[in-house]
Amino acid sequence: MISVADLLIDNRIPGNYFASEVYVRSDLELGLLENRRGDRLIAMPETLLQAIYSGLDKETGQASRLVLYNCGRWWGKNFYARFCEELSDYYKKPLAEMAMVEFVQCLQQCWKTHGWGKIDLDNSYHQQGFLVVKIENSPFAAHSPKGDRPVCFLDAGVLSAFFSQLTGKELECIQTSCESLGAEGNNFILGLEERLKPVSEMVGNKIEHAEIMQKLVNG
Amino acid sequence: MNLPWMISPVCSKTNERFMDPKVEAILNEAESRYLQAEELKIISKYVESLPSRMETYQQLRDKELEIMQAVASQLEAQLPKEKTIDLERSLKNAMLMLRYCGMAMLLNDESFVKERLLGWLDGIVETYNSSEIEKTLYRLTLQQLSQVMSKEQLGLLKPSLMIAKETFIKS
Repeated sequence: MISVADLLIDNRIPGNYFASEVYVRSDLELGLLENRRGDRLIAMPETLLQAIYSGLDKETGQASRLVLYNCGRWWGKNFYARFCEELSDYYKKPLAEMAMVEFVQCLQQCWKTHGWGKIDLDNSYHQQGFLVVKIENSPFAAHSPKGDRPVCFLDAGVLSAFFSQLTGKELECIQTSCESLGAEGNNFILGLEERLKPVSEMVGNKIEHAEIMQKLVNG
Repeated sequence: MNLPWMISPVCSKTNERFMDPKVEAILNEAESRYLQAEELKIISKYVESLPSRMETYQQLRDKELEIMQAVASQLEAQLPKEKTIDLERSLKNAMLMLRYCGMAMLLNDESFVKERLLGWLDGIVETYNSSEIEKTLYRLTLQQLSQVMSKEQLGLLKPSLMIAKETFIKS
């Protein structure tokens, strides 16, 4: 028989930790943004995002993609650590014991609350060793310079580091469709570097995301 | 060194609510003029309803285990084929939902449930594809509530319970 009292730990039922109304706090007088634990947040105005893009482009040219990707990697590594720390503190259990669904819901809410857009995970290529992540309404795509290939290298770096740590495998991440090119969302493929090798060239040849996936899966 | 978290330009609003949104809007109006009779009536209506809201909230809190234990036993009896782990998860979510409904009732603001909980919880329900359980669960919870609560108290809870129903029972 189910005992309802046993379903509760310390009479708590952890809910939506990253709900934007409770997660983000501001102190107008000091001009500070904090999260619900009191950790500092920084707000990046559009101008700053645009300036980062154009500054990097001027200083490093083609290499700016790599710079952004590596910044993303660094940021993603810290992001993962904090995400785990906050969630396991709140849920009072290690992340490994959390149900995958809860984990994904929390990640989605976290992404949204930080203003990074709507993130969705597509597990259907799991057997083939790929994870597809789709992000819609990304501010990093919206304020990037328009080019002829996907531009969310920062996001790609974040995803790569985040999921590498989560899975314990070194995963690369390549963007295959981009809102800056008129696509309805930003698709990213994550997988082992070796397996993702052909993707970069396909993206360069403007092959659509769905077709790339098909080619990858059919080997 | 840890990088700070980053909020991008589309940063969400950070206002926390502590009362009926209609009352809050009226109080904002009061900074530039005296409030009219109609507006004062809205405030007093909310203030007058507060003692019974408090009482309903306390009742819900104190009887939570009793209500939900009865629901749990009936749920198990009515859905013998479902796995216990699935029933337990749905029950836990229902309790979470009821707690939010209680708070929304106290604040007289259903958006408390909508904005804080639903986007997160409905994804979980959808993924587990547990709508059959949710349907029975909702019906049983409502039955138990009506046994423990007075009609008036149930009326206060109704708006937020309706939101729960709309979310979980999409057939």
